[in-house]
Amino acid sequence: MVTPSTTNPYQGPLKGDNPFAQITDNVSRIMEAPKPPLAWYIALGFALMLLGIFGASLGYVVWEGIGAWGHIHPVAWGFPIVNFVFWVGIGHAGTLISAVLFLFRQNWRTAINRFAEAMTIFAVVCAAVFPGVHIGRPWLPYWMFPIPNQMGMWPQFRSPLEWDVFAVGTYATVSILFWYMGMIPDFATFRDRSVSTVRRFVYGLLAMGWRGSSRQWHRYERAYLLLAALATPLVLSVHSVVSFDFATSQLPGWHTTIFPPYFVAGAIFGGFAMVVVLAVPARQFFGLKKIITMKHLELMAKVILATGMIVGYAYAMEMFIAWYSGAMYEQFAFLNRAFGNFAWAYWTMIFCNVLSPQVFWFKKMRTNVWVIFVVGIIVNVGMWFERFVIICTSLTRDFLPANWGAFIPSPIDYATLAGSFGLFFTLFLLFCRYLPMVAMAEVKAFIPEGHIHDH
Amino acid sequence: MADAKDKKKNPAASASSAGPGTTDTGEGAHDEGHGHGSELTDVIELGSRGDGLSKSALGVGIVGLVLSVVLGGGVFGLTFQRAYLAAFMWGLSISLGALAWVTIQHLMAARASIVMRRLGEVIAQGVIIMALLALPLLIPVLMHDPVLYSWLDHEVVEKFHLHSKEPWLSSASFAVRMAIYFGFFIVFARFLLKTSIKQQAPGQGLALAAKLQARSAPGMIAFAILLTFCSIDFLMTLDPIWFSTIFGVYYFSTAILTFCSVLMLGIIWLQSRGVLSSAITAEHRHDVGKFMFGFIIFWTYIGFSQFMLIWYANIPEETHWFHDRLEGSWKPATLVLAALHFAIPFFGLMSREVKRNKGAMVFWSLWVLAVCWFDMYWLVAPNFLKDGVSIGVVDITTLLGVGGVLLWFVLWRAKDVSLLASGAPRLDQSLAFENI
Amino acid sequence: MSDTPKAATPEAPAPLYGVLAEYDDPTTLARAARKVRDAGYTRWDTYTPFPIHGMDKAMGIRMTKLPWIVLVAALIGMTVGTVFQYWTNAVNYRWLVSGKPFWSWPANVPIIFEMTILFSAFAALGGMLVLNNLPLPAHPLDLKERFRRVTDDKFFLFILVRDPKFDDRETRELLAATSPTVLDDVHEDRSSSDQVPKGLVYALLIAGAASLVPFALFAKARESKMSHGRIHVVWDMDFTPSYKPQSDNPLFDDQRGMRLPPAGSVPVGHLRVDDHMYQGKIGQAFASTLPQGIVADESTMKLGKAQFGIYCAPCHGQSGEGNGPINQRAETLKQGWVPPSNLHQQYLRDQAAGEIFRTITHGIRNMPGYASQIDPEERWAIVLYVRALQKSRTAQVSDLTDAERAQLK
Repeated sequence: MVTPSTTNPYQGPLKGDNPFAQITDNVSRIMEAPKPPLAWYIALGFALMLLGIFGASLGYVVWEGIGAWGHIHPVAWGFPIVNFVFWVGIGHAGTLISAVLFLFRQNWRTAINRFAEAMTIFAVVCAAVFPGVHIGRPWLPYWMFPIPNQMGMWPQFRSPLEWDVFAVGTYATVSILFWYMGMIPDFATFRDRSVSTVRRFVYGLLAMGWRGSSRQWHRYERAYLLLAALATPLVLSVHSVVSFDFATSQLPGWHTTIFPPYFVAGAIFGGFAMVVVLAVPARQFFGLKKIITMKHLELMAKVILATGMIVGYAYAMEMFIAWYSGAMYEQFAFLNRAFGNFAWAYWTMIFCNVLSPQVFWFKKMRTNVWVIFVVGIIVNVGMWFERFVIICTSLTRDFLPANWGAFIPSPIDYATLAGSFGLFFTLFLLFCRYLPMVAMAEVKAFIPEGHIHDH
Repeated sequence: MADAKDKKKNPAASASSAGPGTTDTGEGAHDEGHGHGSELTDVIELGSRGDGLSKSALGVGIVGLVLSVVLGGGVFGLTFQRAYLAAFMWGLSISLGALAWVTIQHLMAARASIVMRRLGEVIAQGVIIMALLALPLLIPVLMHDPVLYSWLDHEVVEKFHLHSKEPWLSSASFAVRMAIYFGFFIVFARFLLKTSIKQQAPGQGLALAAKLQARSAPGMIAFAILLTFCSIDFLMTLDPIWFSTIFGVYYFSTAILTFCSVLMLGIIWLQSRGVLSSAITAEHRHDVGKFMFGFIIFWTYIGFSQFMLIWYANIPEETHWFHDRLEGSWKPATLVLAALHFAIPFFGLMSREVKRNKGAMVFWSLWVLAVCWFDMYWLVAPNFLKDGVSIGVVDITTLLGVGGVLLWFVLWRAKDVSLLASGAPRLDQSLAFENI
Repeated sequence: MSDTPKAATPEAPAPLYGVLAEYDDPTTLARAARKVRDAGYTRWDTYTPFPIHGMDKAMGIRMTKLPWIVLVAALIGMTVGTVFQYWTNAVNYRWLVSGKPFWSWPANVPIIFEMTILFSAFAALGGMLVLNNLPLPAHPLDLKERFRRVTDDKFFLFILVRDPKFDDRETRELLAATSPTVLDDVHEDRSSSDQVPKGLVYALLIAGAASLVPFALFAKARESKMSHGRIHVVWDMDFTPSYKPQSDNPLFDDQRGMRLPPAGSVPVGHLRVDDHMYQGKIGQAFASTLPQGIVADESTMKLGKAQFGIYCAPCHGQSGEGNGPINQRAETLKQGWVPPSNLHQQYLRDQAAGEIFRTITHGIRNMPGYASQIDPEERWAIVLYVRALQKSRTAQVSDLTDAERAQLK
C-alpha cells in the first residue's frame, strides 16, 4: 500500500534548459512521480465507490430483468437510452477536437486533444454498457453482429438500432486507433525516460520502436491527417445515426428532419462542456497550467456558446415547424413538452443549454475558471435533460390518449446513472496517471522554437 | 501595405493583441520559406480591368431578363416565375454564402483566408441587387396572384385546411418578412465591407478587427435565422403542406458551395488579369477547394438525412414532396442530381493536385455552380411540372439574366475598392499560409 | 539515467553502421539536411522529437503513397458493406420490413458508410506502420545513450555507411560543417539478437491455436445433433407463464385472469354513433323508415328473406303466422310455452320499423336478442322482409302499377 503524498508532486519548477525539455518534463513527471497527490486518491476512491454502485445495480438488473429499471408501458426506452445518448454525445468532443479542429488548423487544440480523445473512448465505453444491458439478455450481444449461425439468420440491417451497432462500434474502433496513433511518439518519450525495466518494456512495447525518424514522421503526419479526415465525417455520422433511432419513427417529437445535425451540435456542445469540467481540475492538480492555459479554456467557452446557439436554433426550428406544419400531433407534442407533464424537465433543459452559456458573451466570465467549470456542469445536466425530454415526453404522450402513461424512474435508474460516472471517472483517473495526458510532440511542434527560422 | 510590414516585424505583438481568437501555444507564424509577406508588390485594385466583362455581363443580364419575360408569358406567367425563382435563389445563394463565409472568418479570427476576405466582402454586396431582383417575385404575392405560391389561392387554403398557417402564409406578412430579410442582409453586408475598408487607415486594424469579431457573433445568429426563414418562404412554401426542419441548413450548404465556386473563379480571373497574383497562392486556392469538397459532402449529408428520414417514416404529408420528385422522368433527374452534386465532384475534388490546379478548379467551380442551379431547379420545378422534367429556354435565360446582372453589380462594386483587406491584422500570416 | 541497458560490447569492435550528428534546434538541423540532400545522399535520415514543418522539403522526401492505400481500402470497405447487406437482407435471408422492398438502399447507406470509414481507418494506421517498417524492436541507434533524447529535446541527422555516396572522410567533413553539437560514430548492434524471443513465439502460437477453439466448437455444433434440449438460462423468459380464461391471476387486485377492456374503450370498427342504424331510433322515437345505407331493393329483400328463413322462420313460420316447426313441436309437448307472435297482428303492423328492429336486436318475452348473430344491415333487411310479409295480407289492387294490373287481367 502506497501512502499518498500530501504535497502535490506536480507543482514546482520544471526541469530542462529549453522549452522542449520543459514540456516533456511537465507531462512526463505525472507518470514518473512515485506518488500522485492526495486529491487523486480521494477522487479515485470516490470514483471506485460509484463504480461499485454501477456494478451492483447492473448486476441486479441482469439478475432481475430490465423491469428493475423504471420502464413501464409506454416508456420502454427510459433512463438507459437517455444515458446511452448522453454518453455517446460526450464522446464526440474528443474526436471533434482532434479531427475537426485539426482540419481547421485550430492549433490550440494540441493542449487538450489527448485527454479529450481519452474522454471520448471512456464515454463510449459507458455508453455501450447501457444498450448492452437494455437488450434484456446481455449474454447474447453477439446477436447484433452478422455472425453466421445455425439458424441461418442475419441481423436486420435496415433497422436504425443495427446502424447504431455499426456506427458506435466503428466510432469506438477508430477513436482508439486515433488515440493510440497519437500516443505512439509520446510512448516513445516515456520509454526513453523510464528508469525501471518494467516501464521501459511496457512503454517500449506500446511505442513499437518509434524513434522519431523524419521519413516516418512524414507518413505519420499524412496518416494522422487522413484519420482526421475520416474521423470528421465519422463523428458527424455517429450521432446522426443515434438521432435516426428516433427520427425514422413516426412519433411526434421524434420524427423531424433536423435531428441529425441538431444531435451532432448537441453532442459537441455537451462534449466540450465535459472537456471543460475535466480540464479545470486536471490542469490544477497535475500542474498543467502552462500547457492548458486560460486562453484554451476561453476558446472552449466560446465553442460552448456557439454550439449552444446552434442547439437553441434547433429547438426554435422544431417549435416553429411544429406550428407551421399544421399537424395536430406535432403541435401537441411540442406544446406538451413546454407545458405538459414534463414541463419542468423542458425548462431545465432550456435554462441549462440555451440560457446558461449566454454568460460567455462576457470576457470576464469566459476567463473565470469557476464560471467555466460551473457552466460546464450545468450544460452537462442540460444535455442529459435534453435526451430525457425527447424520449420521455414523446413516449408518455403519443397519438392515442388511451396509450398515454406515466414514467417514474426507479432507484436502480438513478444508481446506474450515477454509477456510469464512476466507470468514466475511474478510467479517466487511471489514464491521467499512466498515459501521456498531453500530446507532447504536437505541443512542441507548435511553439515558435519548433519552427525552422530561415529560408 | 505599410501596416502589414509593421506587423511582419513584430508578429508576436500582433498575435497577442489581435483579439481572443489567437493563441499562444498555437502560434502558427509560418514565416519560413515564403518571404513575400514583406515585399508584396501586387496590383490590388481592379480599376478598368473588369470593364469589358462588366459590360458584357450587364448586356447578357438585361437581354436574358427581357427574353425571359417575353418567352415566359410575361412577369406573371408561370413559366417565367418558376424559372426565375430557381435562378434567383441560385444568385441569392452566392451573395448569402459570401456573407456567411466572411462572418465565419471574423468569428474564428481566421488567418489563412484574410487575403481573400475582401473578395468575399465584395461578393456579399450582391444582396443589394438581389433585393431589387426579388421584386418580380414579390409583386405577384402582393397582388394576391397565386401563380407561384398556391397558398394565395383561397380554394387551396380550403381544400388543404391551411387556415392555421394563415398568419405566416399571407401576402402582407410575406412582404414584411422580405423587408426584414433583405434589410438585414444589406445592412450587414455593407457594415462588413465598410468596416473592413476603414481598417486600412493607419492604426485602425486591431480595434476594428475586434469590433468586426464582436459584431459577427450576433450577426451570425441573426443571419442564420433569417437565411433559414428566407429559404423557407421562397422555396418551402411552394408546397404549402410540406415541411422539413432541416430545410434552412440545406439551403445554407448550397450558399457556401456556390460562393466558394464564385470565389475560386474570381481569384483565377483576377490573377489572369494580373490582380492579386502573388498575394493569393495555390495554398489559398487549395483551402477554398477544401471548403468546396467539404461542403459537397455536407450538402449530401443534409440532403440524404432529409430524404432518408422522410422516406423511412413515410408519412403522407411529408412523403408527397419526394414522391413528386421520384415520379416519371423526375426520378432519373433526382438520381442525376445526386450523381452530379455528390458522386462525381466528390471523386473529382478529392485529390490535392486538383485543388491546386487552376484549370481543373475552373472546371469544377463551373460544375458546382451548374449543379447548384440544377438543385434549385429541382426544388422549384417539380411543384409545377407534374408531367416530368422539362428545362426550357426560359430556364436558361433567367439564369443568364440573374447571373449577368449580379456579376455586373459585383464588378461595379469591386471597381473602386482595394481587393486586398490590407488593413487586417495578421495579414502577413495569411500571405505566408501553407497547408499541412 | 543511471543504468545503461545495452553498453557496447568491448571485445571486438562492431563494423561502422553510420555517422550521427546532434543539433540543438530545428533550424540548424534543417540547414544541415538541405546540405546533405544537395550532396546527393539517399540512405540517411533525420530524427526529431516532433514533426517539423518544412522538413520534408529540406530532406527532399517525396509524398507518401499512403492516401492511395487508404482510398483503395475505402472502396473495398464500401463494396463489402454494400454487397454483404445486399446478399444477407435481399438474397440469403429475405425479411420484409415496414413494407419496404427487400433491397431498400437508403436504409443500407449508414452501414455502408461506416464500413467505408472502418476499413480506411485501419488502412491509414496499418499502412503507416507497414510503410514505416514498424514495429521495430531494436536499432543500432539504441546503443547511443544520447540518442534517447531524440524523443525529448534533441535533433539528429544520421547517414548510413550503406549510402553509395558515403565516404569515411567526406561525410564527416560535410556533417562537421553543419555545426552539430556532437558528431559520433554508430556501430552495428551485435548485442541484441535479430531473433524473436522463443517464449514470445510459443505464447503467440498457443494464443493463436486457442483462439481457433471457439470456431472449432461452432463448426462442430453446426454439424452435429444435440442429445439434450437447449440450455435455458432464464426460465421465466423461455417459459412465459400464461393465464387461461376463468383462472385467477395474482398480478391483479381483483385476482381475475380475464381482463375487461378499459371503460369507454371502443374496438376498431365498432363506433356505433348512428342511432337510426344501430338502435332503430330517431331521437327518442322509433324510426319508421329505413336508415341511410339500407336501400329497399330487390337484393335487400332477398337478403331479408334468406335471413328470415334462417333465424325467424323456425318459430314464426315461413309466412310469419307464428306457427313454425319449433312452435308446432312445443305445442305437442305441452310444457308451458309462450307461442311466438303472429306477425300479421294489427299491433305489429302498426309498429314502427325501428321497433321491429329493436325486437330482433334485443328480443322480447322469451325470444332472445339476435344482435350477436345477425349484422345490423341484415336485421334491417329482415325488417324490410317482415314489412313485405305483412303487406302481402292486406295488399289492395290500387297498390299495383298499371302494367301489373294489366298482367293480372
